[in-house]
Amino acid sequence: MLESGPKKQIPAVSVRSLNCPNCGATVTLRSFGQAINVVCSGCHSILDAQNPQVQVLQQFKVKMKWDPLIPLGSRGKLRGTMWEVIGFQRREIEVDDVTYGWGEYLLFNPYQGFRYLTEYDGHWNYVSPLRSLPEARSTGLNTVRYLNETYKRFQTANAKTAYVIGEFPWQVRFGETYQVTDYVCPPRVLSSEGSEKEVTWSLGEYMSGKDIWKAFSLPGAPPPAVGVYENQPSPLGDTPKKIWRYWFFLFLAALVLQVYNSVTSPEQAVFTHSYTFDTQATGEPSFVTEEFYLKSPDSPVKVETQADLNNNWIYLNYALINVDTGQAWDFSREVSYYSGYDDGAWSEGDRNDSVTLPAVPSGRYYLRVEPEGDKNTGAINYSVKLTRGVPTPIWFVIACGLLLVPAIMLSWRSISFEHRRWEESDSGQPGVASVLSSLVHQSSGDKNDS
Amino acid sequence: MIPKMYLLYGIAILGLMATAQFRGWNLATVNEVKNVPRSVRDNPGSYRSVYSSYHHYTGGK
Repeated sequence: MLESGPKKQIPAVSVRSLNCPNCGATVTLRSFGQAINVVCSGCHSILDAQNPQVQVLQQFKVKMKWDPLIPLGSRGKLRGTMWEVIGFQRREIEVDDVTYGWGEYLLFNPYQGFRYLTEYDGHWNYVSPLRSLPEARSTGLNTVRYLNETYKRFQTANAKTAYVIGEFPWQVRFGETYQVTDYVCPPRVLSSEGSEKEVTWSLGEYMSGKDIWKAFSLPGAPPPAVGVYENQPSPLGDTPKKIWRYWFFLFLAALVLQVYNSVTSPEQAVFTHSYTFDTQATGEPSFVTEEFYLKSPDSPVKVETQADLNNNWIYLNYALINVDTGQAWDFSREVSYYSGYDDGAWSEGDRNDSVTLPAVPSGRYYLRVEPEGDKNTGAINYSVKLTRGVPTPIWFVIACGLLLVPAIMLSWRSISFEHRRWEESDSGQPGVASVLSSLVHQSSGDKNDS
Repeated sequence: MIPKMYLLYGIAILGLMATAQFRGWNLATVNEVKNVPRSVRDNPGSYRSVYSSYHHYTGGK
């Protein structure tokens, strides 16, 4: 859409005037004799601008007069070229008995020719006629390609001219209807317009009202953009794609850290012993183990408990106590296992339990164990095993979760935006695949799909 | 802007992960008790575990 070439100053205003043969009002011509038709703003007569006798070609009555947001005769610089607004038409389509209308502004530059600005609900497009035809990519023209970009069909409707004013380089008529089909590849839209005999194509590029106001030095503020327009670029752009790329590399880095941690952890069993706890015995149930040594460096200690249980439980109060400093790590574990047969076999709990204590300093230790159980159970055999220097995967899992949260949130926002866009399409409700496909196309620009 | 912020956030997460692994941090509920008397070795019943008042689960169907 960017136009290049020598920068030429638009010539000084050279307007020609004629009098409307219907009402006598003065009608101004700005397009250096290129106008085919011109519309009298006084009586809405469409005049033949090429005929020196200035014939009235059509007269129309409008229920409502539409004042263009950019007054005719306004000049503004877009894409490096100075354009003058010389015509305006309001066009309407009807969908499910609801009328939707938009404005089309005809821009003129004596060196560049004609361009258009369209406006719908505060969304603007800078439109140029195509110099070559897009190629159809699927049956039913659901996608077309133009300049190595794929455009997806968005909507087809019959557009009726509901109001015209100014001059036009074609035979413009009030009420004339053409079939219009839009294909989108944000921020661009390809539009085909015409009948079975003739079709013209144009390429639009989304612009904000703020840029239009600035270009034409218009007073006040542009009307706010409402909703999501068909070719409106997502405010997130290709951010989700970049985020997922970063996520992949960060995930790989986390995986490397975890593998390194697992490989270098000095995992070593330091204590293993089996015991029997008689729940019916009287006397003090607690006892202490023999001493064992935890070597440097400070690292986590895994305490594993295995109990021969069947429909009962055992509760163990543990204290890992440093012989020299008197520092203790106090924790408790419950091991229970139940099973049976109702409508089918079932089981609950586990005969094995493990817990990993945080980094424990090196030194001499012993374990105080205080078992508890149901008085009616009797003898319970159980074993205790302590392993020093065990790797803990929990931090890897937490890190992966924390890395995923922003990526998922951004992707969700982007998908939601695309969903709102495609809700307005007549191509059916947007499926997840369609929305994701739009995201990928939008973020990649689809440049390599040729 | 957002991708750079995410990258910084991710690097900070990895730094925390590496620190947690290196320092042996753990999420297990463990109470540290200071100055346990040496007499516990000879009289284990004299030690009062902070979990001794735990209400035991006696589940199963």
